[in-house]
Amino acid sequence: MRNHFLPLALSLLMAAGAQAAEMTAQEIVDRANRAAYYQGADGRASVHMQITDGQGRQRNRHFTLLRRNNPGPGGGGQKFYLYFHSPADVRKTAFMVWKHIDSDDDRWMYLPALDLVKRIAASDERTSFIGSHFFYEDVSGRTPAEDRHELLEQTADYYVIRSTPKQPQAVEFAHYKNWIHKTSFIPVKSEYFDGDGRIYRTYQALQVEVIEGFATVIRASISDTRIGGHTTLGYSNVDYNLDIAEAIFTERYLRNPPRQYLR
Amino acid sequence: MLALSEYTAARPRIGFIISGLLSLLIIALVAAPSLKPGTFQFLHPVHIDTDPENMLPADEPVRVFHNAMKQQFGLYDMVVVGVVNRRHPQGVFNVDSLGHVYQLATYAQQLRWEEQGRQRGVVAIDMIAPSSVDYIEQAGPGAVRFDWLMSRPPRSEDEALAVADRAMRIPFLNDTLVSRDKKAVALYIPIVSKSDSYRVAQRLREKIATFDSADEYHITGLPVAQDQFGVEMFKQMAISAPLAMLLIFVLMWWFFRHLQLVLAPLIVALIAVIVTMGLLVISGNTIHIMSSMIPIFIMPIAVLDAVHILSDFFDRYPALRDRKATLRAVMTELSAPMLFTSITTCAGFASLAFTPIPPVQVFGVFVALGVLLAWLLTITLIPAYIMLLPEASLSGFGMQASASRHTPMGRLLQCVGNITFRHGKLILLATVLLSAAAVYGMQQIRINDNPVKWFDQQHSIRVADSALNERFGGTYMAYLALSPPPAAGTDLKAELPVRLADLQPACRQPLMRQIDTLPAVADADPLAQLIEFALAQQWAAAGDSGWQCWQSATAVLEQMQQQRALFKQPQVLRYVAGLQAHLNSTGLVGKSNGLPDIVKTVHRDLLLGAEAEFRIPDTVAAVAQTLITYQSSHRPQDLWHFVTPDYRNSNLWIQLKSGDNRDMSALVAAVDDYIAANPPPVALQHDWFGLTYINVIWQDKMVSGMLQAFLGSFAIVLVMMVLLFRSLWWGLLSMLPLTVTIAAIYGLIGLIGKDYDMPVAVLSALSLGLAIDYAIHFLARSRYLHAASGGWEQGIKAVFGEPARAISRNVIVIGVGFLPLLAAPLVPYQTVGVFISAILVFAGAASLLILPAILSLFENLFFDTREQPPCETTSCR
Repeated sequence: MRNHFLPLALSLLMAAGAQAAEMTAQEIVDRANRAAYYQGADGRASVHMQITDGQGRQRNRHFTLLRRNNPGPGGGGQKFYLYFHSPADVRKTAFMVWKHIDSDDDRWMYLPALDLVKRIAASDERTSFIGSHFFYEDVSGRTPAEDRHELLEQTADYYVIRSTPKQPQAVEFAHYKNWIHKTSFIPVKSEYFDGDGRIYRTYQALQVEVIEGFATVIRASISDTRIGGHTTLGYSNVDYNLDIAEAIFTERYLRNPPRQYLR
Repeated sequence: MLALSEYTAARPRIGFIISGLLSLLIIALVAAPSLKPGTFQFLHPVHIDTDPENMLPADEPVRVFHNAMKQQFGLYDMVVVGVVNRRHPQGVFNVDSLGHVYQLATYAQQLRWEEQGRQRGVVAIDMIAPSSVDYIEQAGPGAVRFDWLMSRPPRSEDEALAVADRAMRIPFLNDTLVSRDKKAVALYIPIVSKSDSYRVAQRLREKIATFDSADEYHITGLPVAQDQFGVEMFKQMAISAPLAMLLIFVLMWWFFRHLQLVLAPLIVALIAVIVTMGLLVISGNTIHIMSSMIPIFIMPIAVLDAVHILSDFFDRYPALRDRKATLRAVMTELSAPMLFTSITTCAGFASLAFTPIPPVQVFGVFVALGVLLAWLLTITLIPAYIMLLPEASLSGFGMQASASRHTPMGRLLQCVGNITFRHGKLILLATVLLSAAAVYGMQQIRINDNPVKWFDQQHSIRVADSALNERFGGTYMAYLALSPPPAAGTDLKAELPVRLADLQPACRQPLMRQIDTLPAVADADPLAQLIEFALAQQWAAAGDSGWQCWQSATAVLEQMQQQRALFKQPQVLRYVAGLQAHLNSTGLVGKSNGLPDIVKTVHRDLLLGAEAEFRIPDTVAAVAQTLITYQSSHRPQDLWHFVTPDYRNSNLWIQLKSGDNRDMSALVAAVDDYIAANPPPVALQHDWFGLTYINVIWQDKMVSGMLQAFLGSFAIVLVMMVLLFRSLWWGLLSMLPLTVTIAAIYGLIGLIGKDYDMPVAVLSALSLGLAIDYAIHFLARSRYLHAASGGWEQGIKAVFGEPARAISRNVIVIGVGFLPLLAAPLVPYQTVGVFISAILVFAGAASLLILPAILSLFENLFFDTREQPPCETTSCR
């Protein structure tokens, strides 16, 4: 129910960015993409992931997420670094993603117990993000150019966009609908439809705060009716524009985590 | 009883009107809710239940556990589709075949619908098909790849073969998805409910029919077999049972040569069956495999009494030439034996109510009810029916006693009578020898059952079953749950203060306060809650000392959590792997899948795919990190089919090639032995579940239950016989033919190696009920005729006249009448058909040979020659 207050909260927070001209669906999606994934030049957050399965059984994970946008105009490549704090048996495990717009992303992981750095050749980005209901793509962002977008309707607060994949065989959904807040451009809800027109997967931004001037989703969840249950991500200690060195996002730092950013 | 017969004979139409109306009423009460569901909510529609699980009550511990485990590990019943190609050198791993497999899998994933707001049909996410499972492989230097095994149909023969090669590297898929000869593929399609299987299988068949290919598709799996069984069961009720009835009718016609007259027993049988089955449905019982056989059991018994009446009438009518007088004489002589035979038969079946198996209870009670009903209808409707026939139509009916004696059967029976009188000792010797052989045979009895083997060998279900079990690890699933004993780890509240004692008070005190708030019985893992609390404090801590204190608190708690996560511990996983290796070496198990297989596979592919690395890594962290890698695949949820998220309970999937209960029992014993000889490194208990295991449990219950029920009814019938004959010796004597019959039948079952299964077990009740009938008729009339003719030498001649002919006609009519069941495609029906016939022949022969032989040898013991017979015809009947 918290969601009911989201538009109001967002409007109050984002009073500055009122839209005058009519935007195309593509423009809306591009802005939403930047608002959701590209705020600042870089950023850091402590993330608490709670996975609740269809039987209500819960698993908790804590990690730190670092992000750095590649130089250039917004919406381009990015680098991510993820470091596990908990559970204890995966502590120090680290993931790294180099997100590319025109080619497959590069992904690495470091498994300390096996003293092993592995590159993961991802066939697609719609595999589970460390066992949760989130896909890799939900964390790093789906490139807007992969879908065709169409503005279905405008409510008082939201643009409702329907996105259809250009390569349907590469993804498990037939299309998805996005509710994008009109002033902040934060996507607050996404519904994924299967071939029979049924919603099976729902993303929701549960809580948004303005941090250092950026509207930031600090709690979000994805539920999936096919496997049951949902995953909630809670972001804390969010910081932007830390000037994280690009060198951090290299194999070397997988084994030697950058302590200064991880606490 | 006699009065009742006379009453209806005097008012012949009343009986027919009442029973006709009753039948119509029952039919209406069954038809109304079945044809228009929902309109008549107070009535029960016909409900078919083909689920062998229901052999046990719903609250039976093994079923409760089975369902709890299915829920815990997210397991579903499955429709299995095997695809075989015998022509292509690469089997199904060619462009065409895999293209079809891809289409079929995609189609199957969409077989979902909603019923009363619930999602039904295929659980697409858990489907095991080439296009829906992940595999892990090397992807160049230092890289691994998770990908769909077959993300699109192959475009070349090499690509097609590569699918097989990839799958065979994954233990979970090898021998499960891909056959070990790399020629066939099997899809496992989980369904929400077993009752969805027919619809799903039907739609799959329709889809397969549109393929133009040389592939063979076999659809099987227990749910499909069960649904198929339901369909065949109905066919049997509609074809076999009426066919048996028709044959009985033809035989009776041949014996009595009077079409109208022999219709009477059929009417009796029909009404008895309609009313009994009607009451079964109306009372809300399901038509189960057992209750579907009720008509087949009631029919011979219903006809039995009528055949006695007709036989006697047939033999007496020519002498009297008066329906009424003949009837009176017939009923005077027969009403007592008929009552007692009916009561004893009832007792035999009613005793099944004391077995612990609900469908068998229902079966016993309703057959007993049907028998009583048949008796009532026989003594009322048959006389009434005869009275309704015009006297003229009976002209020429029947046979002079003297003529009867000169038919082949008459002569044979006289001859038998002579032999028994003169060579009683020989017969007794033969009986003793036969009994000895029977006892030996009974010791050879093999208790076994297998619901798939309820289908005939040629049935498509059996064909599919053998085609798949030849090529794959096995289609019969059993599961072995491994978990710490219930007491382990419950004293957390006592352990925590000790473990946390070394912490600095700044974080220990808030933590202890938090522990005090924990409920005594937590629904969530209390350690996980405490860790969350400590972590939150750690992140919120202002200074370094606070951070470090909470960090060490978290570390202690996490260490405790890890110790409880048994199935992340390498030594436990190695133990489970050892158990799996032992299972595979028993010869009973085609294949087993478990958590160790997943860990080993991922570990191998993380370490360059080297076969030497196909092992459990050495530390808890290495196991955990292997598993978190696995969870970055398309199907991370597959992990929870093998272990619970707290890693305290694990589950082995065991594929058996045979669903025979004896194989499952042997496996249970093998595991018990292994675990006793090789105790696990931590305290673990093991519990079986899965349908293959449940079958063993209900079979065990049935075998012991049936034995008790049989012994109980044997005792009851014996008491009844002693009372009937008012003599211990006569009572014991009357039990002899059925004892020999049952011994002979079960001895035969043991000798020919026929498995002692459910229908065979139930036959003991039928033997008791039928075999005693012949003895009662024979002995009651021997006693009567001995008295009437003044001595046994004369008496035996009379006994081997009309009474022996009645018994023989009964044996032949019913024995032969049940042979059409042999044509049924369902083995339980065949078994019942063969053994009913065998029981009748044995019981008839035993009564006609052993009883007179003993009476002849011990005449003085049984007949008090100085006095009048103790039993007057009219008083004791």
